[in-house]
Amino acid sequence: MHIHPIGEQDAEKASNSYLMSLVFIMAGLPLPIVNLIASLIFYFGNRKAGYFVRWHCTQTLLSQFSLLFINSTGFWWTVSIIFRGEEVTSGYIAYLITALIFNLLDFGSTIYAAIQTRKGIHVKWFFFGVLTDLICPPTQLPS
Amino acid sequence: MPSNSASIVKIFFQFLVLAGLFFATLFGLRQIDWLHLFQIETVSRKTEEKIGALSWELIRNTSHEIKSKEPVRALKKLTDRMASVSGIDPNHVKIHLLEQDEINAFALPDGHLIVFSGLINDCRNEAELAGVLGHEIAHIERKHVMKKLAKELGLSVLVSATTGSQHNSEFLKETVRVLSSAAYDRSLETEADQTSVLYLTKAGIDPKPFARFLARMPKGKDEDPSGIFSVSTHPDSDVRSKEILEQIGDQTFESNPVLTEEEWKSLKARVSEEIQ
Repeated sequence: MHIHPIGEQDAEKASNSYLMSLVFIMAGLPLPIVNLIASLIFYFGNRKAGYFVRWHCTQTLLSQFSLLFINSTGFWWTVSIIFRGEEVTSGYIAYLITALIFNLLDFGSTIYAAIQTRKGIHVKWFFFGVLTDLICPPTQLPS
Repeated sequence: MPSNSASIVKIFFQFLVLAGLFFATLFGLRQIDWLHLFQIETVSRKTEEKIGALSWELIRNTSHEIKSKEPVRALKKLTDRMASVSGIDPNHVKIHLLEQDEINAFALPDGHLIVFSGLINDCRNEAELAGVLGHEIAHIERKHVMKKLAKELGLSVLVSATTGSQHNSEFLKETVRVLSSAAYDRSLETEADQTSVLYLTKAGIDPKPFARFLARMPKGKDEDPSGIFSVSTHPDSDVRSKEILEQIGDQTFESNPVLTEEEWKSLKARVSEEIQ
């Protein structure tokens, strides 16, 4: 994909979109919706920004959606155990570990993407990158 | 630049890979017995044993236990028959008979089953009594007791109350209060009723008297027995009775009494004597 030369400000904003989601992963683990809200705020705040920034905000937002489903399931399962007396099962622990693995993967990818985009290097994630291309087609690139 | 349709196919394919990876990880991890690995079962079993023993100790110290062997043996005979035909270890059910006028029975953690003499007095035959005992065994076997405690008192309280060096007496009083005077969720009560009917039928005991017993329960009195049949918390004992009759349907049952006529009469007589 051809990317126009990235300005210092754009690189910083794009990198911040990842950092934003990273910071909120901490808060979002107990309350998953926080992640998504944080990414949404950043996404809408940068709608009018350059293509590079918008593209990366979109990729962050999409990845947060998938984490929202994974973490919400774990969250409500835990709530039902604590407050509704549901049993702790091996399936529950297996789910928590799976969710943790995918959160760590997201965490690592986010750090990597934040560093790379800060340097103005384009990072395209598996699945989310292609999906982002569809939502933010490169034809929207400013001439 | 790929066309939109090519991108959609690619997205779909990559989504499948990602979702497949997630479920494969989950499936793989699911094969491990984490409860055993982290000794969660052992901890929860020990917690249950401890709460059960301490709660029973508290009740024994504050109530009058009927220690005559004969009535307890008769009750044990009823529970043993139901347990043995239902794949339950009969020794897990520990019967304790208390001198109390209330028509009540309730389960404590770790299989302690408290029966009030008022219940035996009120039952017209062994099938009615067996129905109530079966209901409580179901609460024990389906782990309703710990679920209820976790819901009412909180999981963390349960663990901290039993792991501390000094056991919280307020916590134990609350445990006994919750288990003896507050009803289970409607769904758990229904499950216990249905399971009791299964125990009864497997044991060759007619479950219809159990339904009749529920229908006979007094309604609308505040002083009505607490626990399983409390009117304030169980305004629907008629409904439960009907549900049991629906579950039984047209089935007929051959009477296969657990206690002899003499044993039943003796049980009633001994309990009456103790009350007087």
